[in-house]
Order: sequence, then C-alpha cells, then structure tokens
Amino acid sequence: MENNILRIEHLTMQFGGVVAVNDLSMEINRGEIVALIGPNGAGKTTAFNCVTGVYEPTNGQILFCGRQIARSSPSGKMRKIYAGNDASAFVGDSVRLSPDHVTKLGIARTFQNIRLFSGMTVFDNVLTAKHLRRKSNFLTSTLHLNYAEEKRMREETRELLKAVHLLDVADEMATSLPYGKQRLLEIARALATKPTLLLLDEPAAGMNPQETEELSAFIRHIKDEFQLTIFIIEHHMNLVMDISDRIYVIDFGRLIASGVPDEIQNNPAVIEAYLGGGDE
Amino acid sequence: MWSTVFPYLLSGISVGGQYALIAIGYTMVYGILRLINFAHGDVFMVSGILMVYLVASGIPLYVSIPLVLVLTAFIGFLIERVAYKPLRSAPRMSVMISAIGVSYTLQNLVLYITGGLNQIYPTIPWISNSVTIFGATTKMVTIITPFLTILLVFALVFLINKTKIGMAMRAVSKDFETSQLMGIKINSVISTTFVIGSFLAGVGSMLYFTNYTTVIQTSGAMPGLKAFVAAVFGGIGSIPGAVVGAFIIGIMENIIKGLDVILFKAGMIAKPLGLATFSDAFTFALLIIILVVKPTGLFGEKTTDKV
Amino acid sequence: MKEFASDKKSRVPAFLSFVVIALFYLAVFIAEQHLPATSMLFTVLKKGATYALVAVSMNLLNGFTGIFSLGQAGFMLIGAYTYAIFTIPLEQRESVYQYFQGGAVHFTVPVPVALIFAGLAAAFFAFLIGLPVLRLKSDYLAIATLGFAEIIRAIFQWNQLGPITNGSNMLRMFPNFNDFNIRNASGEVTVYLSTTIPFIIAGVCIALIVLLIHSGYGRAFKAIRDDEIAAEAMGINLAHHKQLAFSISSFFAGVGGAMLAMYQTTVQAKSFTSAMTYEILLIVVIGGVGSVTGSVFSSFLFVACSEWWLRFLDEKQMIGTFEVPLLRNGFRLVIFSLIIMIVVLFFRRGIMGTKELPDLFRRKTKEGIK
Repeated sequence: MENNILRIEHLTMQFGGVVAVNDLSMEINRGEIVALIGPNGAGKTTAFNCVTGVYEPTNGQILFCGRQIARSSPSGKMRKIYAGNDASAFVGDSVRLSPDHVTKLGIARTFQNIRLFSGMTVFDNVLTAKHLRRKSNFLTSTLHLNYAEEKRMREETRELLKAVHLLDVADEMATSLPYGKQRLLEIARALATKPTLLLLDEPAAGMNPQETEELSAFIRHIKDEFQLTIFIIEHHMNLVMDISDRIYVIDFGRLIASGVPDEIQNNPAVIEAYLGGGDE
Repeated sequence: MWSTVFPYLLSGISVGGQYALIAIGYTMVYGILRLINFAHGDVFMVSGILMVYLVASGIPLYVSIPLVLVLTAFIGFLIERVAYKPLRSAPRMSVMISAIGVSYTLQNLVLYITGGLNQIYPTIPWISNSVTIFGATTKMVTIITPFLTILLVFALVFLINKTKIGMAMRAVSKDFETSQLMGIKINSVISTTFVIGSFLAGVGSMLYFTNYTTVIQTSGAMPGLKAFVAAVFGGIGSIPGAVVGAFIIGIMENIIKGLDVILFKAGMIAKPLGLATFSDAFTFALLIIILVVKPTGLFGEKTTDKV
Repeated sequence: MKEFASDKKSRVPAFLSFVVIALFYLAVFIAEQHLPATSMLFTVLKKGATYALVAVSMNLLNGFTGIFSLGQAGFMLIGAYTYAIFTIPLEQRESVYQYFQGGAVHFTVPVPVALIFAGLAAAFFAFLIGLPVLRLKSDYLAIATLGFAEIIRAIFQWNQLGPITNGSNMLRMFPNFNDFNIRNASGEVTVYLSTTIPFIIAGVCIALIVLLIHSGYGRAFKAIRDDEIAAEAMGINLAHHKQLAFSISSFFAGVGGAMLAMYQTTVQAKSFTSAMTYEILLIVVIGGVGSVTGSVFSSFLFVACSEWWLRFLDEKQMIGTFEVPLLRNGFRLVIFSLIIMIVVLFFRRGIMGTKELPDLFRRKTKEGIK
C-alpha cells in the first residue's frame, strides 16, 4: 500500500497580480496529522481550495495516493503576468478534477466560514453527504425501491451523529445549533463521505478553551476510529502543537519552515513571521 | 443589393438607438444593485401611455414632453422606493420576483386604464416628418435617434466620470458594502440611478413610439427584454457596452426581418422562408451564445467568488 | 410521506394528510356526478389542477433546487404541442392542417402515451438547453431560460415547420377533458370523469415530485439550493444534479402543458408568453417558495379568484341605484397585482412558507397536548 497520501509539488496560485500561494511543496503520509499554519492571509485556505478542486492551480501539481488530481501551468493571459516559480515544469497534460470528483476519491473537507445546509436538519445534513456513495439512480430512489440502501445510510448517519455527540439534536435545524456544535457537525458531515484524507479548515475558530481541548481529543479519536489521515489549518497554537505529527509554516504564500512541533516552536523564521512582521 | 438592405439597416440603427436608451437603465441598475429590473421595459411603456393621455387632455406638446420625462423619472424613483428598497437585505431572488411583480402591476394598471386597446401615439411635429435619404423614405426620428442617443450617452458618461454623484455611483457599483461604510448615501445614489435610467427610457419611448405609432400594455415587454440582452451583450454594468450592444441587436434584428426579401432579391432563395419569425428569437439566441462563450460580455469585467 | 430522522416522530400527520386528500378526491368525484357540468366550480378545478402541476414543477426548480428558471411557458408549449400533434384524430387532420395538406404526421397514439410523450419531449429539450444554460448564475440563468422559451415559441410558429406544428395556426380537435366522460351507446354521459381524471393525472405527477423531493436526490437538490460550494465539496456533482432537476421539472411542465391544451381544447404557440411564466412564478411565490402544498393551494386560489370569485370586479355593479365606482374590465387584474405585491413585499414566505400539509396536522396535535 502506498504510504504517501497527499503530495503537493511546486504549487503556485496567482489571482491577477497577487500570488497567494508560491511554490509550495509538501507531503502527507498515511495516518499522520499534519498542520499548515501561518499568519492571516498567508494562503492556507487557498492551498486547501487547490487540493479540493475549488481552484485550478496556476502552476504545479497535486497527487492523491499517487494519482494526479491537479496539474497545470500558466496559460492564456496568465502566462504574461505570471510571477511565481518555474513556469515550465508542468507544461502539457493539465489535469483538473471538480470538487465533487475529488471528494469521491476520498478527500473530504470542512469550511472555515461554516457552510452547513441551512434549510436542513442536523440529521439531513449528514445524510446528504452520504449521497455520493449511493448506488440507486433517481428513478429507483424516487420510487423508494432503494429501501435497504436508504435504511443503511440512515443507520450510518445515526452512528456518526452518535460519535460526535449530536444525536440528541438530530431533528433540529442545523443553523440553530451553537457555533461549536456547528463545527462538529461540519466534521461529521465530512466524515459521512467516507474519506481517507480529512481536511479541517480552522476547526477551532470561535471555540472557547475548553471546547478546543475537547476538540483535540476528538480529532485524535476520529483519526483512529475512521482510519484517517488529517490535514489541518489552525490558529490555536496549543491545539496544533498538541495534535500534529508534523507542521508546515507558510508566510506570504511561501513555505518558510517545516518539521515536528518542537522544531517549529523554536524556529526563528516562524517566530519572526508571527511576531516580527509588525503588520499583524 | 444595397438599395434592398439600406432601409433595414436604417431602421436597425434607429431601433438600436432606442434600445440603447433603455439598455442604459438596465445596465446602471444592474451595476449597482445586481438586479435585473424587469419593470424597466414597462416604465418605458408607461411613459408612452402618459404621453398619450397628457396630449389628449389638451396640454400643449412643449409642456407635455418635459412633463412626461419628469413623470417617468419619478415613476422610476417611486418603484425603487416601494418595491426594491424594502428588500435590500433579502435574497436576490426575492428582489427579482418583486421586479416581476411590478412589471405585472404596471401592465395590468395600463390594461385597466386603457381598456386593453391600442392607443394612438401623438404626432410630434418635425420628428414625425417623412424624409428621403439615399433613396429610402423614412421618418425624421430614424435619422435623429442615433445622434440624440450618442449625445445623451456622452452627457451621461460626463456625469459619471466628472461629478461627485457619478463618483459615488462608480464606488457603489464596485463595492456596495464598503462604499456604504465610507459614508456614501447609498439610497440617494440608487435613487439617482433609477431617475437617470427612467429619464432615458422616457426619451427612448418618445422616439420609439413616434416610429411605431401605437402603445398597448404589453408594448414595453419585448423592447425591455431586448434592451436587457443588449446590456448583457455589451457587458453588464458598462454603459458604452450597452450602447454598442443595442445598436448591434437593433441592426441584426431588422436585417433578419428583411432577410427573406434580401435573399430573394439577391436570387439566393427561390421562395420566402419566413425567417422574419426569428427576428425576436435571434436576440435571445445571441444572448445565450454570449453568456456561454463570454459571460462578461464585450466590455464587462471579470469577477471571482470567494470561497 | 415524511421521512423520519429519529423514531420519535409519529406517522399520524402523514396519514391524516393522506385521508384529507383522498376525501377531497372523493368529493370532487361526487360533485361531478351531481352538479351541472357547466358549473364554474369545474372550470376552476380543471384549470386549478393544471396550474397546480405546473406550479409544483416550477417549485421543484426554484424552491427545492435553487435554480431560478423562467422557461416554464416554453416547456409547457412543447408539451401542449406534442400532445396535440400525436392525438388529433386522423380524420380531422385535413381540416386542422388545412394550409399544410393534412400535415406530416399520419398516426395517433392513445392519450396516456401522448401525455408521456409530452413530458419526454419537454424533458429532452430541457436537457439540450440545460447543457449550456445551467452553468450560468442566478439572474443570468433566469434571463437565458426566458430567452429559450421565446426561441421555442418562434420555432413553433415558423411556417416551414407547418406540416408538423401548423405554423402560427391553431391546433384543435384533439381529445380534451370532456372526452374522459363515459358515455352510453346513445351518447349520454353515464359517469362524469372530466374533472376527476385531470385531478388524478395532476395528483400522480405531484405525488411523484413529492417522492423525489423526499428521496436522496431531493436532499441533494436542497443541498445545492442551500450552498452550492458545500454541496460540491460533499461529492454532489452540480452539473449532473442540476441537469436532472431541470429535466424532471420540465417533464412535468410538459405534462402540465398537455393538460392545459386539453383544458383549452385548442393550442396556439403565441399564447405561451413570458407573461404565463410570470403568472406561474407568482403563484409559487404566493403559495410559498419551497412548499408543494403551498403551490397547489395557491394555484386553486389564483384560478378561483381570476376565473370566478373576483369576476364581479370586471363588471359594472349596482347597489340599488348606486353604481360602484372603478369597476370595469381589468380592475380584477389591478386588485390581483396589488395583492401579489403585498405578498412579495410583506409576506415573503407566502401562505405556507416551507411547510407541507402534514406539518399543519403536526402543529395542531402539539397544541392539543398543551
């Protein structure tokens, strides 16, 4: 079995004249919890969006379990204004998968600015995320001939909600939950797609210290229970240092450091980026 | 060949100018509110009806013409205040539905007032006169329209680029929230936009109905839709774009109306194909092509969504 | 047919709803046997059933999938024409297609088959149209679908297609609702079904739409409505699901168009204007965007008001010797417009919001407990 789950090679993402991510390379191995940190606006979420297919990278390639999920080089107008690294390395055969395709392959994500299905109950939010693995088509589904499948999916949904302790609010509207629970629901919904790699975009944002502490135990728990590899963006340093196996640090789109938590904590470049810039 | 095509080309340019005057209203409102003002075509129609009734009531033309323009501008203002302003924070779909509701209301009001009968548009002297140009006979209005349109567009562009309210408009169309935070009085900017748009539609209506001579409650629907297509074609939010788009659509539409005759006289077809049926449909085909190929239109700017 | 998240919810409201609907159908059937067939009630019920189907199909798109389409009239037109073309009796074709030597189609199919054809034709066109159009964003999509409806209208009026569509002339003589009545040998009606059958057609179609909404695909549609980006991130293929919703909605709009043809007994392309789409959209809004029950309810209300209850507004009324002012032709529509504007501006959730029939019983039982 391939040990390497995600490999990002020389990823550059440029919007107009702004280079949001510049020549980022990193890799994540099976069973790891890897964090991507950096000051606000460093390009972390942009990197996520490239991995999940929301953005087409300007340059570089991304492999998931050895399979190309994105590969491109500057084209069209971008060729003239490209300001990133080495435009020639990935010329030809561009690959772009849509976000739903990426999810089907086994990468699930949560969103920094919570994006739950607002018109649905907690239960339906999770159940809907199981839709991609269904075998019935719209006819059999409409005529409710897929009774067994539906029943199984409902059972699994219940299990998931139990795992995140949201079963007691299953019938409430998703948006009526308190903030912390909405974040948990986002994770449960992502898990429902049966991912091998889970991307968490600032899961602790807006949580109080106690909730954050519970979260780190929870992340470890789901990692083991669902045999996940986890890629996390986070600002809470305690959480990051606590759960991460390895950490990558970016600033202004560029990778400035990587290593195990202890190395990162004492890395002068990282301290400089967080404290020294003066513009934070 | 030329003598067959020329009359169609001429009326195409004329109708194009009239569409342009309506299209500006669409494009400005869309630029600022991101709303397709479905009622705009009906404002154009109501303006025509106002003219009919004012002149019929014995008010002389030199009073009724400015009066119609002022009233049309006021109707535009009123519609915005009553039907769109309360929905400022509502989903876009609600505002669009409200616009459709206003359109429905205006049409039904006019239906009620006129009894659903065609109203003869008053003859405005001079511009209704017949003239012969390069062997084609037409009304003076046909010749005047493009010039008047260009003149008004220049005035408008001047207003937008050189005055304070114009600067506010540009700011609001770039970023609604931020300009609000910067202390721009959003509501007065929006009202001004509607007033200008409706005023121009009023001018357009005078030119258009002088040409077509009758007004009925549904008269505004088709020109309104076509003007909107023109605005999209040119790149929504762009005034020069709307004008160019309107002229292209006006000309193409009239050429298609005469295509049977033109092809027949050129000996390319043996019998009429009834292609004139497609003169309206063509506009929409053009719309779909442009939306698919280049959704930002000829002069539009690209925007990206934030995830 | 509500699904159960946890087992706490009872099945009683769903059952009660079913009973209410069944009783209503029974009442329609009995009324039809005993009231004169010319009663205004039946006009309202027939047209109401037709509009209910079309409104629900539009709601499936606008309310449940979040696709703001204004192409409904175009798909109804396709359905109406398809139905008419395949059912005009052969012996009548010579007179219907009098300018086109009896037309090009020389066979007929039974009414139920023609209804399905009507739906399939509309769905097929929707599929083709959807390929380019569904990628567009909300208001662009609205205007593009509106444009397509206009293009379709022009195509069906084109003289060159006359042998099939009869050009801009009317199609008529096809089986209509009255042909559902069962007659004896001497031609007298023994069982009246001219209202019951349209009710059954519309009922089956709406039931299918409701089943779809409550299936996994329905949930995926709602997910797209609530948040496209999140839906896509959860593995829902946007293009595929939008295309599906668009085609299915159009299928039922096509069937609705065929029913409208039967109701009117004639079909002419020029009547399927964007104004018709607007009318249906307003029905959906009044009923509540996102409520099937609301759409059905408001369709009947709308038709009843416009054809029957508010008719008096269009005629001079005398109270003694006093003539009520304002009342003359068109006043009804003015009142209508005002009501619609009031709903749009002040009661944005419409009559039902997103509630359905069973929810009404649910609330009642709760209140009963208190």
